[in-house]
Amino acid sequence: MQKKSMNPFEIHVNKEKLRVLGKKQKNDRGLPGVSRIKAIEKRKRTLLQEYKLLNKSNKFMDKRIGEKSHSMTDEDRAMARFTAVRVKTHNKKNIFNLADDEVLTHRGQTLSEIEKFDDPRSDDEESLDDVNNTGKLDKQFVEDAHFGGGILKRTGIEGAKTHRELIDQLIAESKKRKAEKQKTKEATLELTEKLDSDWKDLLPIISKSKKTEEDEVGKPKIDDYDKVMRELKFEARGTVSDRLKSEDELAKEEKEKLEQLEKERLERMKGFIDEKTSKLNHRSADDLDDDFVYDSDPEYMLSYNNEGESNVQVHAEINGKSFSGNHENSEEETPENAESSDEELETDSEDGLSDLKEQTSESEDENVNNTVNIKANESAFKNIITPDEEDVQKINNSEHEKEETNVDSLQEKIKNDLLKRKEIMENARKELPYTFSLPECYESLQKTFENQSSNHQSVIIERMIKCNHQSLAEGNKDNLGLLFAYLLQYINDLFAEASNAESIKNSFDIFKAIVPQLFDLAQVNVENSHNSILEVIKEKHGEFRRKSKVYPGFEILSFCKLISLLFPTSDFRHQIVTPTLVFIEQMLNKCKVRNKRDLSYGLFLSTLILEYTTLSKRYLPAAINFLSGILHMAVPKTGVKLLKVLPPFKSTSSLLVLVENYSLESFKSLQMDSTDLLENEIKEEYKIRVLYNTLKLLEDFYYNIKELSSSSEIFERPLRYLELIPTLNYPKEVQNYYIAMETKKPKALRLYEPKIEEIYDGKRFKVQSKKKAERDKMLHKLKKETKGALREIRRDKAFLGRVKIHQRLQSDRERKDKVKRIYAEAALQQSELNELDRQKKRKK
Amino acid sequence: MSQLEKPMKISKQLRLKAQEFLTSKKNSECLAEIVRHFDCGADQPSCLLALELIFTTLLKEKQMLIEVVPLKPVEKTPENQYKEWLRNAYEECYAKVLHSLESGSHKIQIQGLSTAMNILSQEGKFPLESKGSLDSYVPLSKLKSVLMKILSNKQNNMQLINKYTEYLLFDDILFFTWKLLPSLTAKSNPNDIYIMNYLLLLEKLQVYQNNDARILCGNENGSFFTYEETVTIKCLNKIWHCVMLWEHTPQTHKQLLIVLLEKVLTHLEKPLLLTDFLMDSLDVGGPVSLLALQGIFTMIQVHNLDYPNIFGKLYSMFEPEIFHTKYKARLFYLSDLFLSSTHLPENLVAAFVKRLARLALIAPSEDIIIICNFIGNLILRHPGLKCLLNNPDCGTASTDPYIMEERDPLKSNAISSSLWELQTLQHHVLQSVASAARFINTPLPSVEWDLSKILDNTGDDIFDKEVKKFSKLIVLQFEKPCGASLIKDERIMQYWNL
Repeated sequence: MQKKSMNPFEIHVNKEKLRVLGKKQKNDRGLPGVSRIKAIEKRKRTLLQEYKLLNKSNKFMDKRIGEKSHSMTDEDRAMARFTAVRVKTHNKKNIFNLADDEVLTHRGQTLSEIEKFDDPRSDDEESLDDVNNTGKLDKQFVEDAHFGGGILKRTGIEGAKTHRELIDQLIAESKKRKAEKQKTKEATLELTEKLDSDWKDLLPIISKSKKTEEDEVGKPKIDDYDKVMRELKFEARGTVSDRLKSEDELAKEEKEKLEQLEKERLERMKGFIDEKTSKLNHRSADDLDDDFVYDSDPEYMLSYNNEGESNVQVHAEINGKSFSGNHENSEEETPENAESSDEELETDSEDGLSDLKEQTSESEDENVNNTVNIKANESAFKNIITPDEEDVQKINNSEHEKEETNVDSLQEKIKNDLLKRKEIMENARKELPYTFSLPECYESLQKTFENQSSNHQSVIIERMIKCNHQSLAEGNKDNLGLLFAYLLQYINDLFAEASNAESIKNSFDIFKAIVPQLFDLAQVNVENSHNSILEVIKEKHGEFRRKSKVYPGFEILSFCKLISLLFPTSDFRHQIVTPTLVFIEQMLNKCKVRNKRDLSYGLFLSTLILEYTTLSKRYLPAAINFLSGILHMAVPKTGVKLLKVLPPFKSTSSLLVLVENYSLESFKSLQMDSTDLLENEIKEEYKIRVLYNTLKLLEDFYYNIKELSSSSEIFERPLRYLELIPTLNYPKEVQNYYIAMETKKPKALRLYEPKIEEIYDGKRFKVQSKKKAERDKMLHKLKKETKGALREIRRDKAFLGRVKIHQRLQSDRERKDKVKRIYAEAALQQSELNELDRQKKRKK
Repeated sequence: MSQLEKPMKISKQLRLKAQEFLTSKKNSECLAEIVRHFDCGADQPSCLLALELIFTTLLKEKQMLIEVVPLKPVEKTPENQYKEWLRNAYEECYAKVLHSLESGSHKIQIQGLSTAMNILSQEGKFPLESKGSLDSYVPLSKLKSVLMKILSNKQNNMQLINKYTEYLLFDDILFFTWKLLPSLTAKSNPNDIYIMNYLLLLEKLQVYQNNDARILCGNENGSFFTYEETVTIKCLNKIWHCVMLWEHTPQTHKQLLIVLLEKVLTHLEKPLLLTDFLMDSLDVGGPVSLLALQGIFTMIQVHNLDYPNIFGKLYSMFEPEIFHTKYKARLFYLSDLFLSSTHLPENLVAAFVKRLARLALIAPSEDIIIICNFIGNLILRHPGLKCLLNNPDCGTASTDPYIMEERDPLKSNAISSSLWELQTLQHHVLQSVASAARFINTPLPSVEWDLSKILDNTGDDIFDKEVKKFSKLIVLQFEKPCGASLIKDERIMQYWNL
């Protein structure tokens, strides 16, 4: 349609005072004439009609079908009217129209149902079967019998039977066929049923055998192509758990990738646990196995790049599978850890310690280190101290290396225990029955665990999980969730009851054994595990609230540790980790430190904080306050000058001041011990250990958050205390340790000033609440609408006024015309009368 | 069973006995029995109730009222003798009831007080001697003895005083307590228990009339009694002069300050006389100086006191220890008030800001949030402090120019520093804290943060909030732990041999 070009004189242009570029304008021009006409038309259609009907009680209704709707054409209207008429006639009860809406049936089935061909099988069978097999008469017979065949036929066949014979034969035949058919049908049905039941029995076996087949296939060798393909396949998968704090994201993405790989690898490894005969070609630096033979093969030289990833190709053969390449070298860091015997751990940890320092100086050559370490293990711990002391001084220069080796040594330590543990587990496996049902209640779980060693308990849970895998039965997922809750309760009771050294050690053993299974359970039913742990934390916090000055039971330590194992602690905010952190902080802030148990408890919590924050590099004041409080305790108080300390520590307490000179020979390990959580008497040896670990923790914390701009201020207080601790009484290693720390006094790293830029976007917003803004908007609208409505009413009135005056004028005019006419007529009459009179007069 | 029933029985017996006594004059030995039972110490509450029943009824029925005809000796009728005896018994029993106020058990104490006050109220309504024009009066001697018991110097009567506040809702009791107090105030140094009781009572006493004007001793149409506020204020001033002369232990000193701030200060005639006292208190340290600070603030605000180094004092109060005192919310509130003026020198406010920021580095989480908002408010009030957040020409500094040890805020050199601490706090473990410290990254809002809502927050509140926050995303660790140690960054096992 062509747009009608407007007469330029009819267009009204609104002048603009300020022209803004890019601003769209609706009201820059208007057509007053057109819009006025439109309005008048509209009023004529609506208001005028109403006006005409004003004060009238009757009105006409147009009930013709389709008359008012403009969308219908004339034909449509005609059709509609026609159908209406038909419907009207139809509605009259027609007495002759019988059973119109009755449903027709055939053999009790409605015809429509039959037409659906619901049972296609019989049809199919009949069509597929030989023609003779159907119960119907065959074609030839029909031709013969029904249509007589006629004379022609009879002549053709010699010795033909009579008609009666023929019929008899026919009946017998058809009966026989029917019977046969019935028989075969039953047989097939029976067979299928049997097959079905057999299949069900076989199902588990088959699924297993499939796996083993796969294994066998997978075992021989994996060529590079397969490996790369698999890698690519797994790489693409992103986990949900990657949600991280935004600042950290970039830094961590690299790390995350490695972790992802590691995870996939772990899953593959897990399937082969049973075969432990496999040999690892590569040995970690710390390997303690008796059958270890030092291998001088130069291929296995290791060095690490920034990520702690080795750049040397390593061939590892595991379960007959051999992997090679850079990516796979982490194969060695076997995570199946170890609940090995206690002495084992102890020597290991010492080993790790010495290793840690040794490697700072000689991290280039791992293999040399390897031998050194083994020798070191055999000789007394003391022997290494002399090199250590030198090394400590070097720590400053080689922090970075140290971090790597730190991780490395830990992993190797873990690796160390693997074989031993496997053996133990294997034994446990053999001793225990293979299936365990899930416990219905907590008591039955307790009963199952009674008198079982930690390894046995672990295996029991493992088997419970396996026997009740969620794919095997419907309710298993929920049941496993219940098992998770029971296990939490079990841990709780275990630690709550632990009161002497023996029992607490035992509880930690069991805890260590159960944790991997708990991890599995948590993966199975995420939501449930989340809820139950949250409930536990809430409950414990509720208890703590009632008695907030005393450190609660050990079970909280175990739960906090469990949380760090099950959930990613590095998240900016985590459903569970964050409340737990609040809880830990409150404990560290509020609980009074009075005896050895409190000290150790707090130290454990501080270590936990360190563990929670290592990845995220974040900071919690309470932990550092606590550690500096410990340092404060080690400062001898001279009485006159009161050295201030933050609560919950008291400025007068000096529990940890060393009284007499102490040498290193008399104690075994510098590590904290689980029994430290119990005893109340503080020995000299304990004091040294606490101080040693406190300093180490402080150092770790320092490295953790040294990037932060105020790190020097944060550590100012502990350093002040440190300067006040007399060094004479301490054994040499401890002394060296913290002097080294002191020289490391952090130099403030100055970051750039936060840059603040005002955002100016030209618009000024009133600052007010959303509700009020909404209300203002509505009020404005109301005002506008009221004005508009008033204007409309005014125009309506004017319109009506015009109409009225028009009517009035018209009626006046009519009246005038009438009067005129009457006058004219009357005048005419009069004139005629006058005429007559005049004529009469004239006649006289 | 029997043990349970026994007290029931005895209370019933006592009640029966009391009723017996009341029915006939011949049963006078019942009273003696009750008194004897009361003396032996068992079932004191029920004995008290029985005595209360007896004497309130006696007073109501005016049985102890001896008609006195002017200028005539009292006739020695048996009637009068009985009344005389009753009166003696009444005085004796009242003394015994008062004695129960010194009992060790709170239950007996409170029962004793209510008995004493009930009897007192009945006597007020039905006086023992006809007083002519007065419809009723308050038996002042009895009230005085009650007060003496309350202001004991042997035990802390906190519960008793709380119970007594119920009676202070009656205008007459309140008024006469005020009137009696000056005579009960010790002139020389009393012991601290007495002081504590005294101050506790004083804290509950109200200077002005109660709104609903009820009267304990008197009929409903008690138009005779007028409450004179000038009198009470005069009494208060008189008392306070004595109280200030006492020697105070730290506890009572604190209580004294609380009473002073909450009740007394507005009614004193010459509050400026207290300046020295407040100054001394300010130097004590801890909560006492905090309370004194509040007093001084009122003095400055209302009475035009000019105190030279008030900001220095306030500055010195921000020590790491404050986070573990009960009064930290008050301190934040007060310092917010003190620093609310926009005409303070910028380097002074900057010193406060820096000091707060330093403290935030070691504070508990809930306080860090308060401090962050407080710092934000200060910067909003003093736009010049934006140089602490955004200092384009500062370049780099190797150490913080701010001197934490400096006592004088003006010399601490804070204005040339920068708020690195807040930057650090953005890496706090808790999300709520980290985001509170994040305000320095965005343009400041135009309205100040509302401190009053968060001042009373505790760690528990933060815990509750965190627990309630719900997000559908539940993230699990994806690396299976080995034993109880993490694959990466295991620390517990490094430090602990478990």
